[in-house]
Amino acid sequence: MLRMMFTATLLLLAACSQQPVVSEDMSRFEGSMPANFGGSWQRNYARDDEVNAVLRDAYNRLIRTVPDQRRPAGSGTDPSTSKQMDSLLALARLAELITRPDVLTISQTKHEISIARKDDFAMLCAFYDGVAKAIENDNGTEICGWDGSQLVSNLVLQGGLQVTHRFTISTDGQQMRVVTTVSSTTSRLPFTLRRFYSRFERPTSGFNCIETFSMKRVCSTTEIVR
Amino acid sequence: MTWIAAAARTTLVAKIIMLLMCIPLRFAGAEAFLVEDARKPSALNVSIVVFDPGVPEDLSLHRDLQVFPQIREIEAMFLPFVLSETLVKTDEWGAVRVVPKPDAAAELLVSGTILKSDGETLQLKVSVVDASGRVWLDEVFGGAVTDSYATGGNGSGLPGYQQLYDEIAERLLLARTQLEEKELTDIVEIALLRHAKELAPSAFGDYLSVADDGRFTIRRLPARNDPMLDRIERIRGAEYVITDAVDAKFQELHAEIASIYDLWREYRRKVIEYQTEDARRVQSTKSSAPRGSYEALVNLYDNYKLDRITAQEQNSLAIAFSNEVSPTIAAMETRVAELEGWVDAQYAEWHRLLEELFEVESGPEQ
Repeated sequence: MLRMMFTATLLLLAACSQQPVVSEDMSRFEGSMPANFGGSWQRNYARDDEVNAVLRDAYNRLIRTVPDQRRPAGSGTDPSTSKQMDSLLALARLAELITRPDVLTISQTKHEISIARKDDFAMLCAFYDGVAKAIENDNGTEICGWDGSQLVSNLVLQGGLQVTHRFTISTDGQQMRVVTTVSSTTSRLPFTLRRFYSRFERPTSGFNCIETFSMKRVCSTTEIVR
Repeated sequence: MTWIAAAARTTLVAKIIMLLMCIPLRFAGAEAFLVEDARKPSALNVSIVVFDPGVPEDLSLHRDLQVFPQIREIEAMFLPFVLSETLVKTDEWGAVRVVPKPDAAAELLVSGTILKSDGETLQLKVSVVDASGRVWLDEVFGGAVTDSYATGGNGSGLPGYQQLYDEIAERLLLARTQLEEKELTDIVEIALLRHAKELAPSAFGDYLSVADDGRFTIRRLPARNDPMLDRIERIRGAEYVITDAVDAKFQELHAEIASIYDLWREYRRKVIEYQTEDARRVQSTKSSAPRGSYEALVNLYDNYKLDRITAQEQNSLAIAFSNEVSPTIAAMETRVAELEGWVDAQYAEWHRLLEELFEVESGPEQ
């Protein structure tokens, strides 16, 4: 009986993992974008999830999904559970790595939302005529969608690895929550971390600067003609 | 002709002469003005229109096709000049000019569309039509950057794809050799008559006939000493002075941005090399870490990350390139617009005066 329940749980998890994170409905919107994330955001560490605590919860959940196999005392953890724990730990470490940047710079135009992060690529959400356009390269595909006013970015990598970020902005536009979920076909459970950000204004300098191709950054105290 | 008609005629002729003299002295460096055309019939004048940048209207395709719209706009102005230089060097043609918009009365009109330009490959769709409407060329030319250029580069913006431009020049010559001398002479005459018809349709409306396929043929020719034709030729000469001034602006543009453009192309070529090399690296250095381990996951993530960072870097540099050259482009466009505006204003006036003059001159004898 327990074995049947375990199998059913696995099947359910497998079925869930095959659902696209960004569905057809989410990948299109009418009119202007449902929310404006544009601006500079700095981490609010006080509200962030604590990785070890989340990992502990995830371990407990993992163990609850494993049937009691009545292993003799002292025989240690079931090898498959141990492997699952290792996979979960790997996901947790990756999630921690990806969500490490303490500042996000988001620029939002009519067609695109670009989320720049230090030491990582800028996530890009491209929408043309209200329809999401995937960014593809040989190693993965990135696509965004809207779940109500939440922006969802889903990155599908080779080897069954997926990274999903869900951005939510507070009603006053000053706080932002980013829920990052990392999942893999090698792990029965995904790993999710929440990060919180507060809006801030970057100080302005007395210089007007532009990037040029051969002279790099060029600055002037007067207006630069473009 | 009554004394009133004679006076009107004199006034109108004087006005035309005044208008022709109004061409600012700084344009008058060229010799086309009032100089008799003594070239060989085969040495047709060639007008190369600023290319179509070939930027797809669908913005969502730009990223996939690696099209940087601002750079394509610059290339559209820059590359015709390179073709013009190549044609001039052959010494087979009359005046070769880059023009901002198609001139229907050009003896030989070259138009092009940039299909691909990524630093390593250039693909141009080139079509060439003569004044009679005969199509000389309509095909795609493609070229890869030459090895000598790839390793050296000489800051001219030219020789990377020189083979491609040489091929276009050869094909043009080949097309010309297939025409009889009479056909070439007809092209020159048709060009002048088409221009005359645009300026003074009442006087020159019936010299040409147009077939259903748009081809022009000469129905009859005006007398060699036809004063109206003489005026048209003078006006055409004046227009060429301005066209040469516009062409000189394209030449200045080329001189100013060639070295930066070379750098950009070199960068694009390196990116393509890097991408090929990186794809090889990803294949050959597949992580040996156990599947699902942290190292294996980071490896998968980093491969994607590197690709995306390279693409971002390219976009930033495309913007930086555009930032750097845009003041030069803007200055050139302003000057060309001034010159064109001047020509358009004069053209309307010439048109009006010639029509009036024709009416006076062809009026009933009293």
